[in-house]
Amino acid sequence: MSIAAPLAAVLIGAYLVAVLERWSVHGRFSLSAPAISALALLGRESITTRKADALFFEAGPVLLLVAGLLAVAVIPLAPGLIVTDLASGALFLNAALAYVLVALIMAGWGPDGAYGMIGGWRFLGQFLGYAMLIVMPITAVAMRAESLMTTQIVQSQAQLWNIVYQPLGFVLFIIAAVALAFVPPLDLPVAGGDLAGGVEAEYTGARLAILRLARMVIILALAGATATFYLGGWLGPVLPPWAWSALKTLIVAAAMLSAGRFIPRIREARFLELCWKLGIPLSLANIFLVGVLVLVVPL
Amino acid sequence: MTVPLIFLTFFGAAALWFAIVVFRTHSMVRSALALLFSQTAVGAMFLVMQAEFLGVLQIMMMATEMSVMAIFMVMFMMDPGGLGEMEMTHQKKRSLWAGGIGFAAALALAWAGNWGPEATVIPQAARQTELLGIELLGRSMFIFESAGLTILTAMIAATMVAIAPEKAKQPKTVPQKTAPQHKGHSHDH
Repeated sequence: MSIAAPLAAVLIGAYLVAVLERWSVHGRFSLSAPAISALALLGRESITTRKADALFFEAGPVLLLVAGLLAVAVIPLAPGLIVTDLASGALFLNAALAYVLVALIMAGWGPDGAYGMIGGWRFLGQFLGYAMLIVMPITAVAMRAESLMTTQIVQSQAQLWNIVYQPLGFVLFIIAAVALAFVPPLDLPVAGGDLAGGVEAEYTGARLAILRLARMVIILALAGATATFYLGGWLGPVLPPWAWSALKTLIVAAAMLSAGRFIPRIREARFLELCWKLGIPLSLANIFLVGVLVLVVPL
Repeated sequence: MTVPLIFLTFFGAAALWFAIVVFRTHSMVRSALALLFSQTAVGAMFLVMQAEFLGVLQIMMMATEMSVMAIFMVMFMMDPGGLGEMEMTHQKKRSLWAGGIGFAAALALAWAGNWGPEATVIPQAARQTELLGIELLGRSMFIFESAGLTILTAMIAATMVAIAPEKAKQPKTVPQKTAPQHKGHSHDH
């Protein structure tokens, strides 16, 4: 299958996510604004810090982009419209997104700046919270589909979407997705107000443009994953399958981005406490409930 | 030389190179992430050998584990950035001997061990995942369950040790007369 169609979909999707992000922050809907911002960033001087760890400084944003693109590779847009339909697709999505953590630590440590470094390690603290909340709900989704293939997971929802079949898993997964994509209220690594940009603080010009693009791709990947795992992916009447996938992904992305407008930023220690004391028991309960449902009501 | 063999050699060499970098660098973060990329290369070797699930699992687990290790190395070492040119190794002779003996033992095991017949038919990736699950819940169940229980015990013990007892939280320097009374609840900051 040609790789051009999924790649074009990722580019358009990431651009639309950028439009949504701008809307969520400024309350204005502008289709041209991200393009103008990107051009401005590319035209700007790229400043490097003194005594930077050059390797990490340069590799961090690129690794973040690669992680996002690899995650998108296993998300189906329509039957046959997927870069690679791996037998362990749902696990691969996790594996790719695990490198978001590595990339942010590299990008935070690399510039030899306090804000960046704190931002990078903050994400590690946040990761310890959300890690189980992303893996365990996916386990329950795979249990119903009896497969880790993302296309099989979509097909398993033909009778009933997972958002209805396992609503608890959906809630936990979307919280974890917001934390993984570090969007407000869980934007501690970049925290505009209290950390002067955090991981992004020392990046300028083209490097910052890559960092921002990577973040958009990661939001897109997680919104796509939510649509695939819980909202029936391409399934839906009248419209063509790819349109359903695109629509659901963008709605989830808009929901993820707008949460920050209503909820204040959560400190990583508080988030960790909530995740471990409440999130993990609920995730285990979700696995148990879905296990019983799969045996009793095999829809 | 077939294409998979070329890739296998490449990733094998990458794993070895990153393993050497772990000891060459003075930066603790570089050292931790070099170990991560060494393990990622091993994961890529699994993928080349068509063990998809194991490869993906290895690549996923190492990313998170090594990142957690990196922050501990930064916390505990005196010169985490390595910019101070500080000597941070110790017991060099013993380490060299231990490393040498370990390496020789691994080589001996690789050469002398009975690896059984070479697999000629490779099951489909999905079937491999299924077989792995059956293995984990069958023959190897006891080993994996006891390992899991041991790790859980260690985690609980470590957390218990890390939590300061209630008495230790009270400031000792403040005289009893002027200290504000907090009866019934404790302040956690």
